[in-house]
Amino acid sequence: MATFLRIAFRNVFRNTRRTALTVLVISFGAAALILSGGFFAYNFDGLRETTIRNGLGHLQVATARYVADGEERPMQHGLERYAELQEWLESRPHVRATAAQIDFVGLISNGDKSEAFLGSGVDPEREAAMGFTLNLKQGEPLVGADEALLGVGLAAALKARPGDVLTLMGTTSAGALNAVDVRVAGLYATGIKEFDERALKVSLATAQRLLDTDRVTKVIVKLDATRRTEEERSAMVAAGLGGRGGELRVRTWHDLATFYQQVVLLYDAIFLFLGVIIFILVVLSSSNTMMMSVFERVREIGTLMAFGTRRRQVLAIFVLEGVVLGVLGGLCGLAVSYGLIQAINHAGLTMPPPPSFSTALPLLVKLVPGLFAGVFVLIVAVLTGSAVLPAWRGARLRIVDALGHV
Amino acid sequence: MDTVITLRGVEREYRMGRTKMTALRGVTAEFRRGEFTAIAGPSGSGKTTLLNLIGCIDKPDRGRVVVCGQDVTDTPLHRLAALRNRYFGFVFQSFNLIPDLSAYENVEFPVLLGDLPASERRARVEGLLERVGLKDHRRHRPHELSGGQRQRVAIARALVAQPLAVLADEPTANLDSRTGAEVLDLMHELNESAGVTFLFSTHDQQIVRKARRVLALHDGEVREDHSRAAVQVETTSAPAALLERSA
Repeated sequence: MATFLRIAFRNVFRNTRRTALTVLVISFGAAALILSGGFFAYNFDGLRETTIRNGLGHLQVATARYVADGEERPMQHGLERYAELQEWLESRPHVRATAAQIDFVGLISNGDKSEAFLGSGVDPEREAAMGFTLNLKQGEPLVGADEALLGVGLAAALKARPGDVLTLMGTTSAGALNAVDVRVAGLYATGIKEFDERALKVSLATAQRLLDTDRVTKVIVKLDATRRTEEERSAMVAAGLGGRGGELRVRTWHDLATFYQQVVLLYDAIFLFLGVIIFILVVLSSSNTMMMSVFERVREIGTLMAFGTRRRQVLAIFVLEGVVLGVLGGLCGLAVSYGLIQAINHAGLTMPPPPSFSTALPLLVKLVPGLFAGVFVLIVAVLTGSAVLPAWRGARLRIVDALGHV
Repeated sequence: MDTVITLRGVEREYRMGRTKMTALRGVTAEFRRGEFTAIAGPSGSGKTTLLNLIGCIDKPDRGRVVVCGQDVTDTPLHRLAALRNRYFGFVFQSFNLIPDLSAYENVEFPVLLGDLPASERRARVEGLLERVGLKDHRRHRPHELSGGQRQRVAIARALVAQPLAVLADEPTANLDSRTGAEVLDLMHELNESAGVTFLFSTHDQQIVRKARRVLALHDGEVREDHSRAAVQVETTSAPAALLERSA
């Protein structure tokens, strides 16, 4: 076998130009897969963490009825005694912080014009402790009651600026109309234009006053690591959720992040499409190389068989050649990919905002060791597979014909 | 001497498009251990075909081929790989060395296919390279050797498995006359000193003269079969003039 491997290895370098071209194609294919995969992985990571930091948290605890049925009236299935629940949750080792939140809708008016809003009643201090980020464009963050942060689109529609006083109108949990005056503390952007045109944040107390309730919609939980999400949800449920296991439900960020899931599905489809194109490209290139290699060595094959080399041994020589070429091309591909990832990540490039986004995103590629290993194995497998048919043809040659080949 | 190869009424035909060409017509011959035999005749007379059938790299359409008492006529060629490796060494007109391997590795190749211990393998290869005068060229690749040196490597390769017979197809045809004579002298010396059986095809009368036995072919038939000290061969196509005894 060592001699066959030696023959295969040396033959790879017999026609250096052709080998270089094949290795170039393989490297290009490997780099395209690794870079696109790394780019997608970076975006998945970024989108996931952004989704979590923008208010989703790792876990959300709400009542089972709210999760199952929603609400006909504001806070109909709201969460009572949420402070006790937060205390229990925060006693768990992997929970970093919790924050109660109210989701509500209503109208906001500047006296001349009213706009519908999607509101959040938040606890600014706790959310800050959870590391939630807010892209504040003007003004100051929320500090007290009777203040509001407006999405930039909503503020533009109302021609509102920090310091202005606006009126929030909503329905109480009993079904009555209610109104609260708030001072605009600041304007913020979520990155999603449509949401910026409706987004509004007030303090938890302001929201509870508007809705006339002492409940909240949910308690958001921040963990010490995203990877512990599923494990911690199971542990919380197993631990009985502070004696309220039958009443409450825990959902993960992944359950709630429909946009994230759609993006992942889209990117996965793109990656598969790209992978298939590159697969075909590499197969065609390497098959051609192997076919030429067999064609050029017909007489050599005849000589080997005349001296007693068996068909399966001839097959092995050419398949090994495919393996050598695959390993060589794969390693070059990994090296090229690593270099390109470093270059791209240090170039400070940005991408134009994607659809529905209002801010540019940094162009970065994640170095995923598993992707490197997977692409390397794939390349070697493809090259080995590409060698089988030409090798089989070579091994089936008649000795006399092969020796007489010109 | 023992009979090692027997051909009985061997016929071989080839098809080239719609044309059927008869390469051998009812050839019957026996070859014994230690012979130094030239298969002589003009181009197209069937010399290479005869060597191919003897070496079990081709099959006859009719007739029988017996190697060391084993009738191999009906055995598929791919099942005769071990037999070829054990019984035959081949020397080709164009040397047919493996370009990726050094002289040493080329010589070693046939015995790598068997189960010879490494020490014995090494001893055989080095001994043969010394015997053919290429000990100092053991690491050279074929493209670094002259034509004569390449054919010496090919002869060493043919001998390394200690075959029953070395089959050489026009071994000097691609060499100048002086180098060709040297290669033939080497084959002759190996035959004389080590008793190696050589069957070689040629149309060169200088070479034919050195053979102890000449099997003369014309149009696929054996026209003469002489065992003599020296024989001269006419390489024209005239059947009557094909062989001319020099003694």
